[in-house]
Amino acid sequence: MSQSKGEEKPIKLEDILQSDVWDVDEDPHIIVDSEKCLECPTKPCIYLCPAGCYVKAGDRVIFSYEGCVECGTCRVICPMDAVKWNYPKSGKGILYRFA
Amino acid sequence: MSSIPTRFDVVVVGAGPAGSAAAYLLAKKGFSVLLVERGKGLGDKNMFGGKVYAQPIREVWPELDKEAPIHRWVTKERISMVDGEKVLTVEYRTEKKVSFVTYLTQLTQWMIKKAEGAGALLASEVTVEEILMRDNRVVGIRSGPDVIEADAVIDAEGVNRLLLERLGLVKKLDPDTVGLGVKEVLKVGEGNIESRFGLDKKEGLAWAIVGDITKGIPGGGFIYTNKDTVSMGLVLHLSKKLLDEGSFEGHVSSLIEGFRLHPYFKPYWKDAIISEYGGHLTITDAIKFAPSRFAYPGLLIAGDAAGLLLSLGYTFRGVDYAVYSGKLAADAVEYARNNGGVNYENLQVYDDYIRKSFMYEEIMRHRGAITLMNSFELMSKYPKLLTKVMEKMFEAEYKHEVIYNSLLQALKEEGISPFNLISQAFMMVKGI
Amino acid sequence: MRIVVGMKWVPGTTSVRIDPKTGTLIREGVPSIVNPHDMPAVELSLRLKDKYKGEVIAISMAPPPALKGLEYLIGMGVDRGILVSDRAFAGADTLATSYVIAKTIEKINREIGKVDLVIFGQETIDSSTAHIGAQTASWLNWPYIYYVHDAKFVDSKFVVERVLEDAVEEWEVELPAIIATHMKALKPRPVRLINKIRYKVEKPIMTWTNAELKLDPRCIGLKGSPTIVSKTVNVPEVPRKKIVYTPKSGEDAAKWIIETLMKDDKASKVLMKYLSMEGEAQ
Repeated sequence: MSQSKGEEKPIKLEDILQSDVWDVDEDPHIIVDSEKCLECPTKPCIYLCPAGCYVKAGDRVIFSYEGCVECGTCRVICPMDAVKWNYPKSGKGILYRFA
Repeated sequence: MSSIPTRFDVVVVGAGPAGSAAAYLLAKKGFSVLLVERGKGLGDKNMFGGKVYAQPIREVWPELDKEAPIHRWVTKERISMVDGEKVLTVEYRTEKKVSFVTYLTQLTQWMIKKAEGAGALLASEVTVEEILMRDNRVVGIRSGPDVIEADAVIDAEGVNRLLLERLGLVKKLDPDTVGLGVKEVLKVGEGNIESRFGLDKKEGLAWAIVGDITKGIPGGGFIYTNKDTVSMGLVLHLSKKLLDEGSFEGHVSSLIEGFRLHPYFKPYWKDAIISEYGGHLTITDAIKFAPSRFAYPGLLIAGDAAGLLLSLGYTFRGVDYAVYSGKLAADAVEYARNNGGVNYENLQVYDDYIRKSFMYEEIMRHRGAITLMNSFELMSKYPKLLTKVMEKMFEAEYKHEVIYNSLLQALKEEGISPFNLISQAFMMVKGI
Repeated sequence: MRIVVGMKWVPGTTSVRIDPKTGTLIREGVPSIVNPHDMPAVELSLRLKDKYKGEVIAISMAPPPALKGLEYLIGMGVDRGILVSDRAFAGADTLATSYVIAKTIEKINREIGKVDLVIFGQETIDSSTAHIGAQTASWLNWPYIYYVHDAKFVDSKFVVERVLEDAVEEWEVELPAIIATHMKALKPRPVRLINKIRYKVEKPIMTWTNAELKLDPRCIGLKGSPTIVSKTVNVPEVPRKKIVYTPKSGEDAAKWIIETLMKDDKASKVLMKYLSMEGEAQ
């Protein structure tokens, strides 16, 4: 793993996210009803989830909770009401240090 | 397990600035206080832009200036208007210790330790799942199988108020009332911070950026200088309009990347390493966001959960408002105890305390700003106009235009009538 | 029964980065967590306590910040924690560490009550040696079984199940014994509010330094550690091929994967070797 330099060239989001720390919960704190995503015309989560947890694959949306920064945006913007959102238990999830 | 208390005078949900302040003051006043926090108890779930106003916090902790983890006092305020690569910047310098920059994680940690030191019992790593109601009155909280009862529950759960939603006291978050804040923390080095931003030791800079840095989405950018890092990022106003149009140019991280790589800004963080990346919701329309009441039977709502955040575009006040609302909640509980008991009738004073506070007055007074900042049009039009005026004034190889003509030409090119300019400028000045 | 469970307080290594200039680990601001592989051990100890009563004592040899980890385990339901902490223990390898742990277990046995079972996790995420269980068992001369995923009493005999790649074995073990859990053996239970309140009210934590343990300075810390780290080598980053294929079906996906691998020199060799071995086995 190398470090991401802040200027000069574009850095992939996945490399930027390497700077964060998580204690990942065994259970996902967000459940997405992916059947509903199939019908979703705009899929704003793909663009607006800052951690890129929602990835487009054809008509589908693939969701992974592990890199979630717990902002709650997906819950607010989902046009299909497909996102069941909870906070992680037992102190798990993102551990901000310099925020 | 019989010696373990399951009843407290007050349960505070959320050890952020609001909850910690309330727990600290209540414990100091002799109440038994349980402060429940879902994070590991070190402020590790707290995220914000970067600047904190000091005075309201000094009312809770007069020792703030001396003891708190303050990185730098803000002595320089900058505002930039951006149109593509053209930038117009205004800078103001002050000596007065009005606001400071820090990591909220560190500041909150300090506040939590104060609360614990005063005798509040901190239970971290515990997610509250439900605020319990009995006979139309809040009686306690539940986490997993565990129930804790209390005379009063202070809800300081933050902007994502799942508990209040579950109680049915507020509706599901409305995209028109919140914005997404995305932030990168760039490790620049202490010496570089000072030389690049023209700061002395302990001096800090707060910088607001408007214009097409958000690619047409209402909102803006920010830069704050911490001790040896720079916090920079964007606030994007979420709205039904934005979501309905669904025309995103790319992932939100590409917007912040465009900001990071912008030729005007990037020299400030040359050779920096990215230390952290994060996202958080922020309140953009405090009035619409606020619950219909701040006090319910057995329940007081404080901080972000109460919508107490002032967002003016050029500055934001959330942390000090949170702390101050925590103080008012503690005051209300004390008032109730001294006036016949911690019951609903007595706790209702909290609603009054909030509505008569400087915070609420400020939010009401500046409510025009919300309409302005939510306007897709205005947020891009004026930065464009003003940078254009500058272009006419400075980008001349032989002949410089007189300022008045620069303005007229720019208005013409942007299709704005001088009358409109004056009326909208007046509205802006009045509203913000 | 009295169960002792081991805990290591480790940096959350998912985010430990390497300084490109010096090649050393950057630990600045990297928060520590309970070693995730210890969690099944804690869960098993709590399930045994739920079933057979008694108490669970968590121990950790670490500097004082590890108290946060013991607090977490007490939050899960562990009865008390013992932090074994002394500057004299610093710089220990697994041999010196297991020696201190063994002596701690002996002291618990003497002063708190008879220890029936000690449970460790499979290994740690920051060093992955998987030594501690076996070494502690050697010092104490107790039986040791690893990769355990369940344990119970059957007709007053203690029976542990361990998982191997292709089999599950049952072992009858004489107590006291030491077991190490398999890293995915059991899902840990969440922290409970009532247990966290108990932690704050009762403070069920002891700290033992070498003044209490009175161990020979030649056997502990750096002096008691024969291990030498001669060199650390960074594994080179493997460049990604960045190919995305959207299969029409599961069968199509499998077919595509095999075809793609066969086009790659190295991958095809490995694949062919494996396929020929399968053929021989049949």
